[in-house]
Order: sequence, then structure tokens, then C-alpha cells
Amino acid sequence: MSSPDFKQNYFELFDLPVAFSVDTAALGARYRQLQGEMHPDRYAGKSDLEQRLAVQYSSRVNEAYNTLRHPLSRALYLLELVGISGEDVSRQQVDGGFLMMQMELREKLESLGELVDPDTVLEHLITEIGDDLRVLRGTFATAYGAGEHSAAAAACVKMQYLDKLLREAEQLEAELSEKRA
Amino acid sequence: MALMQIAEPGQSPLPHTVRRAVGIDLGTTNSLVAAVRGGRSQVLVDESGAAMLPSVVSYAGGSPQVGAAALAGAADHPADTLVSVKRFMGRGQKDALADAARSHYQLAAEEGFVRFVTRAGKVSPVEASAEILKVLHRRAVSTLGGDLDGAVITVPAYFDDAQRQATKDAAKLAGLKVLRLLNEPTAAAVAYGLDAGEEGVIAVYDLGGGTFDISILRLHRGVFEVLATGGDTVLGGDDFDAALAAWLRQQAGDPALSAGEARALQSVARAAKEQLSADERVSVDLSRVFAGGPAVEISRDTFEGLIQPLVKQTLRACRRCLRDAELEQDVDNVVMVGGSTRVPLVRAAVGDFFAREPLVDIDPDQVVAVGAAIQADILVGNQPDGELLLLDVIPLSLGIETMGGLVEKIVPRNTTIPVTRAQEFTTYKDGQTALAVHIVQGERELVDDCRSLARFELRGIPPMVAGAARILVTYQVDADGLLNVSATEETTGAEASVTVKPSFGLSDDEVATMLTESFSHASEDMSARQLAETRLSGWQLLDGMRAALEADGDALLTAEERAELETGMTRLQELLNTEDREAIKAQTETLGRQSEAFAARRMDKSIRQALTGVSLESLDEGAPQ
Repeated sequence: MSSPDFKQNYFELFDLPVAFSVDTAALGARYRQLQGEMHPDRYAGKSDLEQRLAVQYSSRVNEAYNTLRHPLSRALYLLELVGISGEDVSRQQVDGGFLMMQMELREKLESLGELVDPDTVLEHLITEIGDDLRVLRGTFATAYGAGEHSAAAAACVKMQYLDKLLREAEQLEAELSEKRA
Repeated sequence: MALMQIAEPGQSPLPHTVRRAVGIDLGTTNSLVAAVRGGRSQVLVDESGAAMLPSVVSYAGGSPQVGAAALAGAADHPADTLVSVKRFMGRGQKDALADAARSHYQLAAEEGFVRFVTRAGKVSPVEASAEILKVLHRRAVSTLGGDLDGAVITVPAYFDDAQRQATKDAAKLAGLKVLRLLNEPTAAAVAYGLDAGEEGVIAVYDLGGGTFDISILRLHRGVFEVLATGGDTVLGGDDFDAALAAWLRQQAGDPALSAGEARALQSVARAAKEQLSADERVSVDLSRVFAGGPAVEISRDTFEGLIQPLVKQTLRACRRCLRDAELEQDVDNVVMVGGSTRVPLVRAAVGDFFAREPLVDIDPDQVVAVGAAIQADILVGNQPDGELLLLDVIPLSLGIETMGGLVEKIVPRNTTIPVTRAQEFTTYKDGQTALAVHIVQGERELVDDCRSLARFELRGIPPMVAGAARILVTYQVDADGLLNVSATEETTGAEASVTVKPSFGLSDDEVATMLTESFSHASEDMSARQLAETRLSGWQLLDGMRAALEADGDALLTAEERAELETGMTRLQELLNTEDREAIKAQTETLGRQSEAFAARRMDKSIRQALTGVSLESLDEGAPQ
């Protein structure tokens, strides 16, 4: 679309500094403000063309909001802005220590079914992964802020690993609580 | 900021003209219509004072009969009386068979979607629903005193694309201009939210006749943001009736029942269920169902034992939905929707689950229509300063079939709509000019476990060596939750044409044919009507463009651009004085296309003005997430 507003990157569109750390209150407020102007409901009585444009604009705002809202997609987007694609990130070498830790966590997760009290163990596991993720986010923010993009990419690929693991653990937790109910 | 405002031919648009808009709750068991009148949203009643129209269509005697009269004949004409038609909307033969067996319908054995075999011929669920909507349409026109400018039709949040499309088609067949399809729980939240001026997180528990929906929303300064939605499209109060009916039949010694008797048993069970909301025990006289039927006594405890598994099933969906919403706080309010939430066990179970006393101030049967009418009033422009905005989500993930019958997700469920996703394909053979894409909706990994929505065939790809073509397919889900697809070959810029074949449902051509058929039944002169409609849209375009040129012509157009538009306008003006419908239509379309760039510039300008005019701080004084 030709709208000048959309030549901006997501951070500019949301009036935010290009950085990993984001003011979530400001992000949410700006999101509601942008949708207040661009949502198709605001063009319900207008021409087909305006309605079509509104769908495009509003979609773009949703896309930007979703990207900035979640830390992992935000990190990936920041790398994209400096020319490092998602594929580049996946190709990053991961050190042996991290891989070992990954494997241990995964084994714990897979052997959970055999335990008498899987809930407590799972809860610990989720806390552990969450803590590790927080550390990695800190590493990413510092590296990116200092312009060390390859170090940032290295942190990002680890975030991807852990994020996937966390989602699997949460899925498992959901299944367990479903069974209990 | 409007380029094309809607106005009568030759008149300038009046800012204070109140437009007629309604909200319609097209329910499984009952349907309602509501409108904002005198600043309040209220349901519209029929001449006997009844608000609820039973969603029953009878084809027993020639022309279709709708509502209470149709319901009264249900036991005598079970196969010709269509009840709970909503369960069949947009569904395929396979899905519908189980329901049909229970509902005593005969289904036409055809590929694709469902048709009922009735005395009046084969009837699709879309056509039957259109009959219900026509009655409500007429009621609204006579109550509001004139033609409607538009309607908001509600659908269960959990409806998939095919079910939404079927609902929209039914509304079109009933002659309604659909402003928006609105999710029922969102409508209910609007009805409550605006009344109470609430802020915070709202859970809407909607247990209707045939569907269950749960939605979690956040209300913040007039913006309703749906965080997650879930539910079950085939679970509702009808299932309570069925469980009770099965139990009653068992108590009577499991007699064989005719289709008519089974219908009668169902309605006796429903009456008993309703009575059990007030009384601890009731006696059911089964001699009203079949000759020699005994009187059976049932206590509320026994009834609650029968429906307990169903209620638990709804709470499981609530738990999933809460998880999807990723809340970092408790739910502030629980809104109850649907007649089945009158059942005391349901209220108690939901109250326990959310640890909140559920809100029941607005009649749970009316709250959806009331909310929909508020949204309709805003969408037609009756509340220019209204802050209300609804940000809804797609209920089920959209995906495409990949190698080995697996699903690749394109838009995950609970993504805020509208949403646009693009995906790149390439060719795998030299000179390949076509590509087939199969779109499904659902959460499972195998295509066979998801709903098939449509198959797309991309044609007209320029012949190239294998792997050289780069075909960008764009999937767009609009604010109604409906999918549109387009495709471009990127290396040459060629547009590949997309042929949509809905898996279940009507193609656009079929809807057009049905519309023409329904018009030809009417006695009015078709060609005169068409000419009037064509002229109206011509005048509307001209009026809109004149106003737009006056406001922004100098600032946003070069002299050449302006001259080109004015030439086109003069041409259209001349044609509007003739009877040549085709020429008027063609010139209206041409001029519409010519003015697209201007319209886009005006829209960008007004958005930019609006966004720079208000500072973020004044909008939102540091309100926490």
C-alpha cells in the first residue's frame, strides 16, 4: 500500500524507540489508538475501496502489534531490521553447554509421565525455563543495544529453543490439569 | 473524512439523519431483532408483543411458515418442520448425519453441503435461515417505519469460515445489508460493558440452544479486545433436553417412538427442564407423548446428574480459553448469555469456576441482540463520537494442506482480525502453469481431522523452469472473520487468478441465482428496480466525489488528475439522465476506479491528521496493561 505511514518500521508506527525493551503500556495504548482510526468498523458506511484499504491498514497494525508484543518475535524482528533473517538465526551455531542443558530439560519433560507427582516437577521445570529465558533476553538486549548483532543472534536462537520447550511444557501442564478436572 | 457519503440522489448528506439499523440474533432455538431507539437498545416485538421468534420453519403447507405456528405443527409434520437449522449451517453431509438422525430429517444424498428433503422440495439450511431472517426484517421495517440501512448479524464465536459465510448468504437472501457479522459473546459484552461502564477483563459464558461459546475480553476505554475465544459448535441446551428425554423414555420402559412422538417427547422434556429451574421436582405426563404413557416424576437432583457431564464439558472449554488468553490477572466480570444459563446448576458451576457471581441483569435471551443493535447503530454512523471499537479474533486456526496430508498453519487461532498473511510457493515442474491449494480450518495436524474450507486453483502462472516461479499467495481474514485469497507471480508480476470452490456452502454464483429467483417471485418490475438501484449508486458516487473534490481536490490532486476525474464525472452525469442501465453501471465503475488513488490519499491524510492531533498521553494516562 502506498500509505506513507506504512513505510515506517513497526517501532516507528508505534512511536517507540527501536530497542528490545518495550513499554508495554505505551504499546497497548498506541495499538488501540491506531485501530481506533484504521479499523474497518470505522469505514462501514464508506466506499468499497476505503473499506478494503482499512482492512489492509488494520491488518498491518495487528501484525506489528503481535510482533512487538512477544519478546521472541520482537527479537527476530529487530535482527531482521539489521539484515539478519530468520533463516540466518536458525543457522547460528549453539555451544555444547547449552545443547547439553537443553537435552537434560527435554529428558526431564519426556520422563514426566512416569513420576508420582508430575505437577510439582513440571512447575519447577517451567520456572527454570522461564528464568533461563529471562537471562537470555537480557543478553539479547545488551548485545543488540551495543550493536553486537551476531552475539544478539546467538542469544536469539537459544531463546527460540527455550521458547519451544516452554510451550511444550505448558501444553503438558494443560493436559495434566485437564485430566484432573 | 468520507469520500463517498451515502445520501439520497441530488441531496447533500445530512449529518444528523438517523439511519435505521438493527442487530439480529439468529439463534438455534429462537431469533430476535433489536434496534437503538431513543438512545437505548431494545428488542423489537411482533404484533402479539412477543420478542422471541422460534427459529422454526415449516414447509408442511406449500409456502414456508416461520415461528410459533411452525413450531405448533412440529409433532404432526416432523420431516417438514425444520428446527435448530443453525446446527446445519455451512456443514457437510458427514458432519450433519448424526444431527439429522436425532432431528428426524431426511437429508438429500448429494455431494457437498446439506439439503433437507421436505414436501416443498429440497431446502438448504441457508434458505431456511433466510425465511427466519425475512420475518425479522419485515418486523423491523414496520416497527422502525422504513427500509433498513443495514444489519449486524450475530454468529457463535466458534463458527468457522463456512458457517459464517452461510449466515451471511442467508442474510443476503433475506434482503438485508450485512454491516458486520458479530460474535455473540462480543455482542453480549457490549450490551453489558456500555451499560455498566466497566473496565477490566470480562468472561462471556454463552450456552444457547445448540452452541456453547466462551470468550475472554478486555475492555479499556471503549475498546473491547477479544483475548481468546473457544467453545463447542454442537453443544447446547438442546442436549440437556435430549438427555432428559432419553431418561424419561427409559423410565417409561423404552417404547419405540414414531418421529412425531419423539418430537413431542423432546418438547415435553424441554418444558420439564425449564420448570426445574424454579421447582425442586416436577411430574411429567407422558400420555401427552404416546398413548398409555405413564406420569414420571423427576427431581432437580436427578436432572442435574443427567446434565453434569455436559456442564463439565463447557468448563473444560473455559479452562482452555483462559489459558489462551494469557491473563496475568483474574476475570473481573462474568456475563451469562443464552437461555440455558437459567439452569441453576449452570449458574452455580460457572460462578464457582470463575470465583465471581455471574451477571444476569440483562435477559440472557435478549442480551446478544441488544449488543448487536448497539454495534449496528455505530456502524451506520448514528454515533459519530462513539468511542466503542470491537477488536475480535479468528476462532480456529487456518492452514493449508502440505505433503502427506499434513496441515501447515497460516493464521493461528485467537489472532486478532483483520489479518493478512502471505506465503510463497514455487512450481515443481518445468512449464507448470497451475497450482492447487487446499485450505482447512482447525487445530489438528492431519488434514482429515480439520474442516475443509475450500480448494483454490491458481491458474495463469507464466511457464518457467521448475522452481523459478515465485507465487505469493495472500490470505486475508476480514473483520467478519471471512477469508479472501489472492495470488501474484512475483518475478513477472502476473496475477494468478484464484478459483474458489467452497467445500460446503454456496458459491457466489449460486447465491446470485437464488437471489434472482427470489426476486422473480416478487411481482415488482425487475428491470425498473435494477435501473433505480444502478442510478442510486451513480448518484452516490457523484455526490461523494463532488464533496471530496471541494475539500481536498486542490491539495491532493494535480491539475491533470483533477481534470481527468471531472471529465469522468460529467460523462456519468449525462448518462444518469438516460435509461441506459449498462452504460451507467460501466461509467460508475470506471469513475470509481479512476478515483481510487484520490480516495486512498484522502484516507491517509485523515488518518495522519487524526493520529498527530491527539497526543498519546492525553489518550491514556499511564493506564497499566
